[in-house]
Amino acid sequence: MSTVDEVVGAVPAPVVLEHRPWWRSRAVLSALVVVGMLAGYYAAKGKYGWPAVLEWSSLKTHLDSFQIWLSDQSNETSPNLFFRIVNGISGGLDTLVRWLYDALTKLTWVGTTVVATLFAWRFGGLRAAAFMAGGLASFAAFGLWDESMQTLSLVLAAVALSLAVGLPLGIAAGRSERFDRALTPVLDAMQIIPAFAYLMPVVILFSVGPGAAVITTMIYSVPPAVRIASLGIRGVPSNTVEAAKALGSTGSQLLWKVQLPLARRMLLLAVNQTILFALSMVVIAGLIGGSGLGDPVTNGLNTNPAVAILAGAAIVIMAIMLDRVTEAIAERTDPTRRHLDEAGRRRARMTTIGVLVASAVAIGVGFAANAGDIYTRYTIADWLIARIQSVLDFIADPTTFSFQHITNPLGNFLTQHILLPLDTFLVATPWFVTVAGFVAIAFILSGLRPALVTAAMLGLIGLVGEWQSAMDTASQVLVATAISVALGVLLGVWAAESEKVSRILRPINDILQTLPQLVYVIPFVYLFPISYVPGMIASVLYAFPVVVRLVERGVRDVAPQAVEAAGAFGATRRQVLLKVKIPLARDAIMLGVNQGIIMVLAVVVIAGLASTPGLGYEVVQGLQRNEFGLGVVASIAILALGIALDRVTRGNQGNRRTREDVS
Amino acid sequence: MTTTTAPAALDRAERIDRTGPPLIHAEGVWKIFGPHADRVLGTPDADLPRAELRAKTGCVAAVRDVSFDVWPGEVFVVMGLSGSGKSTLVRTLIRLIEPTAGHITIAGQDVTAASSADLRQLRRHTVSMVFQHFGLLAHRRVIDNVAFGLEVQGVSKAERLARATEVLKLVGLEDSANQFPDQLSGGMQQRVGVARAFVVDPKVMLYDEPFSALDPLIRRDMQDEVCRLQEETGKTMVFITHDLPEALRLGDRIAIMRDGAIVQLGTPEDLVGSPADEYVANFVRDIPRSHVLTLRWIMRPPAPGEEDGPTLDVRTTVKNAISVIAANERPVSAIENGRVVGVVDRDAVLQAIAGEDG
Ligand SMILES: Nc1ncnc2c1ncn2[C@@H]1O[C@H](COP(=O)(O)OP(=O)(O)O)[C@@H](O)[C@H]1O
Ligand SMILES: [Mg+2]
Repeated sequence: MSTVDEVVGAVPAPVVLEHRPWWRSRAVLSALVVVGMLAGYYAAKGKYGWPAVLEWSSLKTHLDSFQIWLSDQSNETSPNLFFRIVNGISGGLDTLVRWLYDALTKLTWVGTTVVATLFAWRFGGLRAAAFMAGGLASFAAFGLWDESMQTLSLVLAAVALSLAVGLPLGIAAGRSERFDRALTPVLDAMQIIPAFAYLMPVVILFSVGPGAAVITTMIYSVPPAVRIASLGIRGVPSNTVEAAKALGSTGSQLLWKVQLPLARRMLLLAVNQTILFALSMVVIAGLIGGSGLGDPVTNGLNTNPAVAILAGAAIVIMAIMLDRVTEAIAERTDPTRRHLDEAGRRRARMTTIGVLVASAVAIGVGFAANAGDIYTRYTIADWLIARIQSVLDFIADPTTFSFQHITNPLGNFLTQHILLPLDTFLVATPWFVTVAGFVAIAFILSGLRPALVTAAMLGLIGLVGEWQSAMDTASQVLVATAISVALGVLLGVWAAESEKVSRILRPINDILQTLPQLVYVIPFVYLFPISYVPGMIASVLYAFPVVVRLVERGVRDVAPQAVEAAGAFGATRRQVLLKVKIPLARDAIMLGVNQGIIMVLAVVVIAGLASTPGLGYEVVQGLQRNEFGLGVVASIAILALGIALDRVTRGNQGNRRTREDVS
Repeated sequence: MTTTTAPAALDRAERIDRTGPPLIHAEGVWKIFGPHADRVLGTPDADLPRAELRAKTGCVAAVRDVSFDVWPGEVFVVMGLSGSGKSTLVRTLIRLIEPTAGHITIAGQDVTAASSADLRQLRRHTVSMVFQHFGLLAHRRVIDNVAFGLEVQGVSKAERLARATEVLKLVGLEDSANQFPDQLSGGMQQRVGVARAFVVDPKVMLYDEPFSALDPLIRRDMQDEVCRLQEETGKTMVFITHDLPEALRLGDRIAIMRDGAIVQLGTPEDLVGSPADEYVANFVRDIPRSHVLTLRWIMRPPAPGEEDGPTLDVRTTVKNAISVIAANERPVSAIENGRVVGVVDRDAVLQAIAGEDG
């Protein structure tokens, strides 16, 4: 009988594991490097900090004077062309946002709510209208109407511009393989770089204000617009495109009559994702003049947390509301599924007219009744804030069970026994041993070029004088990543093995990923009064869903032949899991580590807002105290640290065999 | 099944116009997919079997050195197993896929040298195509799908809707004009596909396995429909299929493809009567020879005095001739253009039928 042979023979080539002796396995080699670093640590604890000769100590001063020179240049009565363009952009964006905000204000609370709800009803249906009305009503009830409208106008402006840039690029990328390939690394970079790394440069160029906030938001929200638009165009059935070409369509006929209508649902989903990405930058945008809901969150974080939580809730509600409404519109107006006959079209036209008339009436009534300030008089904000405050008080009360037995011990344990020792280890080990260790691990895990890049980036961090802060941040990132990966692998493997777990996890993951990054931090500031912990927990919550997703897919995708073959040898389910599936899913786990570490870094630096020491805190200081030199230097260090951590954990992606496919 | 179409086949053969130049002329057409395909061509590598070429260069030779002519009014069938290069070949004809090498002329126009504007004119007015998976526009009503070809030409709305309505009647879909493709069955969707290709009144219709995705019964209906359209309009057709009965039923001539090359090109009789190699022989093994072979295939020159027996058209199939031949002692005379061109006796018929099992 040759069945087993046949099955084994059918295993596709790429999943065959490399065979190396155990003493040369990557894990063992990396562990050896760590042992070496520990030896260095005990041999010369604290004796070799980053040497002053290798530090460009005047850089901060230079940067400060450069900033002064820049602002002088751009404030001159007749600035040169470059500054005229830059000023024109930021001024134009300021005006756009202000204009939108004025429009929303003029409509008054009544007008805005009625118009938006009717619009959602006309194009998205009853459910969408309910979400819209409910969301808007809660902003008013929270006493945050004005802030919400500021945020909404910022988001609308950023989304409109992101789409204006992103959709054409995405459509072009969908039509040209080459363009798509050229664009992908740029988009990757835009999404991977932590926002805190480009806040300072944006502020220096465009100065604080709505314009800078729009630009910062756009850097993050253009990529999804491009990506999904490109996917949408690519998703148009190729035989339909071919048929249209065969009938002699020109390129533009093909685009307008075939590709765009058939991709329309996806293009609207691109709008949806762009909105969600833009919203997740609201708090950060608030730091540089975006105002709106971001301000109460940032300010309240240290002074009035109940308000911060309320504002955070408003951001979440806005995200859910806009998500549901745009998604419903995308689905309901898809021309490939919604088939209107003549009568239906007439009805739709009548409805539109009705909606317009009703909107006009609502606006009129709003004006006439001078409804502009109704919401300020009838809110439940005070009541809500009192309730939230009492919950917070309870949580933070040192006499309660949860404080004494859960949060406090957990926070202390994390800080005392894991984080601080690691931090001390990284900082007190002679700098050259630390650098050599990181570079060696990068070489073992990822190869020569990543190792060289890592060395250069660590050197840059030291050069700009951020060695100490970067090691603080790095230790937080490493601990949080370890927790995220452990949690992610555990849940990911479990979800891959059990459909039920997978079904339960999916919506949780979705929610965790759409929530604006900083919103996580808020509650934990209270749960864990020790400064390091909230940021770390928030970053774990942000990063582990991605690890879960990658690991789940990796384990699921393990070639069924391999599993079957192992089964044919009489392996138990556990053996199959441990000996076949997890080893074969190794690449997916490595990818999870790589993506997780970058996401953790993004949130850990944001936690600087909650006064967690590290690079993020310095950026916040730079912004809030106008210490531009410090802020820029910290931004550079964040970027360098991000690149270094990415390279160390990248794995040999480049060498990884991909399935060769001519088509 | 050949019985019912036999008389039609007789008429059709008369409609093929071989006096002038061919409508489609393809010469030495190659298509090699993959990196640096043009560098493979002309080297000995190009003659390697497909798998070896792919292993060595990463390229796939989908079409290799294919030449053929199609005459006005002819139904030219290309047949072969899946992956043999049929779809690629038919797409190179209107450069939906750029041929790597070769020369193609359609209706006197050099397709391979055509500018993109010329190519568009050719696709709009001269050639149209029906696809395996229909390729209908899901966001448009049936009638707007049918009118699409006229729309891209810039024909006014009133006129294109009028013409589309006419063609919809022709394919029996006048009642579905306002429905959307996903509301129709597969067979009806492909009727829309045929109507859409037909509405621009092309000289040549290309069909790429149009009925492979349909149920057998509906496939029969659709084949009848295509036969009827062809008879009524005399359009030239290039018809791709992997189904031999379909090929025999529709084709005036059939090209059999294997690994990108044509291994045999001939009438159904040629293929069934004298397959060029094992591959073709395997294809036609299950086809009853008497259904395909005609008297021309089994006749012999008349001996003196044999020419006054009963007469039959030389294009009559053996199957249809059996009753006449069996009822007569004397050999039957085969007639072409009113002249006796040969005679057929019982032995010849028996031999032809006997060959069916061997
Ligand atoms: N775009 C493409 N890129 C690479 N190879 C292709 C492409 N299209 C077709 N092929 C290959 O060319 C060969 C012929 O394909 P095709 O013409 O579709 O065959 P058929 O229509 O006879 O089934 C197949 O081996 C197929 O894999
Ligand atoms: Mg095909």
